[in-house]
Amino acid sequence: MEQARNYVCTECASAVPSGHKFCGACGAPVPAEAQTLDAQYFGALQMPGKARLIVVRGDEAMGEGLSYLLQATEHVAGREADQIPFPSDNWLSPRHANFVYRGEKLAVRDEGSLNGVYVRIRGSAPLQIGDHFMCGQQLFRVDATPKDSSGPEPDQTYFYSSPRRPSAFRITQVLEGGMDGIVCCAQEQTAEIGREDCDINFPDDIYLSPRHAKVEMIGENLKLIDENSQNGTYVRIRGEKELGHGDYLFLGRNLVRVEVTA
Amino acid sequence: MIVCSRCEKENQDHYKFCLGCGAELPRDSNGPRSLAAPNASEGRTTNAPPAHAAGSGALASAPQLDIALPTPEPVQPAPVPELEPLPAELAPLSDATSPCTHCGADVPENFRFCHVCGHDLHSDLPPASDLESPEERVSPPAVAEAPEAPAPLARLVLIQPDGSEGESFPLSGGPTPIGRSTGGIFASDAYLSPEHAEFRFEGDQMVVKDLESLNGVYIRIDADVPIELFDGSVFRVGQEILRFEGPTAPDPAPDGTQHAGSPHHGFVGRISLVIGRDSTGNSYPVPPHGIHLGRERGDVIFPEDGYVSGLHCRIHSEVGHVFLTDVGSSNGTFVRVSNESFVPRGTYVLMGQQLFRAEY
Repeated sequence: MEQARNYVCTECASAVPSGHKFCGACGAPVPAEAQTLDAQYFGALQMPGKARLIVVRGDEAMGEGLSYLLQATEHVAGREADQIPFPSDNWLSPRHANFVYRGEKLAVRDEGSLNGVYVRIRGSAPLQIGDHFMCGQQLFRVDATPKDSSGPEPDQTYFYSSPRRPSAFRITQVLEGGMDGIVCCAQEQTAEIGREDCDINFPDDIYLSPRHAKVEMIGENLKLIDENSQNGTYVRIRGEKELGHGDYLFLGRNLVRVEVTA
Repeated sequence: MIVCSRCEKENQDHYKFCLGCGAELPRDSNGPRSLAAPNASEGRTTNAPPAHAAGSGALASAPQLDIALPTPEPVQPAPVPELEPLPAELAPLSDATSPCTHCGADVPENFRFCHVCGHDLHSDLPPASDLESPEERVSPPAVAEAPEAPAPLARLVLIQPDGSEGESFPLSGGPTPIGRSTGGIFASDAYLSPEHAEFRFEGDQMVVKDLESLNGVYIRIDADVPIELFDGSVFRVGQEILRFEGPTAPDPAPDGTQHAGSPHHGFVGRISLVIGRDSTGNSYPVPPHGIHLGRERGDVIFPEDGYVSGLHCRIHSEVGHVFLTDVGSSNGTFVRVSNESFVPRGTYVLMGQQLFRAEY
């Protein structure tokens, strides 16, 4: 005794080969479930090529651990967004960022937000003067070294300035509310950030690693290097940036992780 | 950078004396002579070779100025720039250790307190030990010890780089302008404006007015007396010019979004290093509980400026106002005069490269 290997017509008991929509013997329709050979996913979250966002550190109202499946073509996140709302985070613009598909690839686009979108760097990333980046709870901007303005006046009086040291660039801490905080001129070509023993130290920032990140001027180019920090270093994106599985983003105070099923 | 020919230490271009050994450094005679802290040797005792002075503790015990300079030979031993002996417990970690008498931990020998249990190791020593008391470590300010010359006339006494007194400029009654166009010693000071400042008397009080000079007039503040700072106040510590900036912040966006940023610990402003006419270098925000500035200790340190004391001054806030206090530095903290100021008797006044004491 053995089981029939195919779908068997419920009308005439004939065997129906797979892929047939009607029974060849009696013409009865084959139910849709029986026609598909490919297994279906238990849930949409398993669908390949579609990404989801996991809220790792969240908005007070929306909580942590939420996940958003990005099934549509655009997904707007913001303080007043419908799809990915973070209503209680006033660091987010009403319409802050948009998650879009570019072919098979997911990308995030800054929708002209006040505070920007930050993506965790993998290892290192190029920087330009004016770029912002985050380490721990700290937000920084990279600025150019101002031109030396300590030369003589027309009346030949010299300006007395504090001793200057050669410095390729400077890092400015941006405080909540928008005021500039610490300014650190690079020691020649580099400036390092961490909890201790660096050029810029934050002993009370528990999310910083002892030596967290550094910025280097190599030739004419600035480079941001994450020093294997625990929580990573994040750079504010310009315009749009492609995302991959395991990427982390800061949207305001919210940290989200991107998951893409292969 | 000037490399000392005696000990090979690298010194900044405007240093007059080597930070490593105290030898006089060569100067570029064409460029402007930079303003080495003029009272560098205040409180210095000694014409002895610097090596002896540093090790003997003589710095602490004999503060009077040695003014008599019988032979103005250039081969005089160079005065030592201000480099206080570091309190022993602040010196670099000693390799040698000894067990704590309380918990047995190995404690570096230059620690006073056990770093594990906090036990005061000096409390084990007999009280009559000849250890330096904390007061003895600090060179007393020269001001206190300066000889009180009877001054029939009001005058500005020039204090020379080695701490001795130089020429006097009488200030007779009426307003007296001082500047590069005054001639004499002022003529060659490239940091003085042609018309720099004016001195006059109001009653029996001397008043100095800054004639909108480029580099300003600075007055030394008394130790331990807080002076209020305002947005834009400028002060000088060693060779460093610092500006206090009150807290400022942009308005939030019209849609109610706040500016994101690092945690704001209620900062009351920040201090910035002035490195050019319109530019500043490093800046540090000032939290309400304040910050200390010093060469070795404090929240903001100047390890390369030998004219800054180990712990020099403090900035803090009280009831919404911000204050600067000199905490007993050797070379003093100088505040830039805003328009004009009284000059109390005996006050030190800094203009261009010149340091004076006001006597009347």
